[in-house]
Amino acid sequence: MPQLLTVRVKRPGGRPIRIWVPVLPVVLVLAPVVVLALLAAAVACLVYRISVARALGTGWRIVSALPGTRVDFTQGRTAVLVAIR
Amino acid sequence: MNEQRKDILDLLAEGKITAEEAEQLIAALERDQPPAASSLDARPKGKAKYLRVMVDAVDENGEPGRINVRVPLQLLRAGVRLTALIPPQALGKANAELHKSGVPFDLTQLKPEQLEALLEHLDEMTVEVDQPDAKVRVFCE
Repeated sequence: MPQLLTVRVKRPGGRPIRIWVPVLPVVLVLAPVVVLALLAAAVACLVYRISVARALGTGWRIVSALPGTRVDFTQGRTAVLVAIR
Repeated sequence: MNEQRKDILDLLAEGKITAEEAEQLIAALERDQPPAASSLDARPKGKAKYLRVMVDAVDENGEPGRINVRVPLQLLRAGVRLTALIPPQALGKANAELHKSGVPFDLTQLKPEQLEALLEHLDEMTVEVDQPDAKVRVFCE
């Protein structure tokens, strides 16, 4: 499961912004929203006749596989980095 | 089994040398072999973990741009499993749109096992596009 999300934005003439988001505390804080989202996903699965367990399992696999993802864009003196650890 | 070792065992089988002599010869053979070469053969082939996409380009204003994306192959594998969850009616609609766009591709014929096999061999793939103002590299590491 992802532990830390790092976002770094560098703009010309401005100070670089670095944000570290600890995933687990944020998920805990947003737990009610997460539960609602899971319920909505379960209902959508039932409507489209997809196995809820299979869909949740696949979703969990995707979330678990996220660590190591890194997206880095640089254009001139502007740069954006998103990294998941 | 290498050729020399086989010759020694053949001599032993034919009774031309004793078991002790065969053992001494095999031990001598092992001493003579360079250790680096044998360890290299025994080493398992490195398995790629990430898919990398690197783009270096210069825009119309002459400013250099760079895109560097690293995606875990495990994420691609998990994504492939999503295809099994796509409802058939959605695949039908996607097929119709693909046909409209001039891409006669039938998504219903695409099986997760085939995609898995594709991912298995992805680590051997390297795509390089070189242009005067842009360079694209897609590879696994």
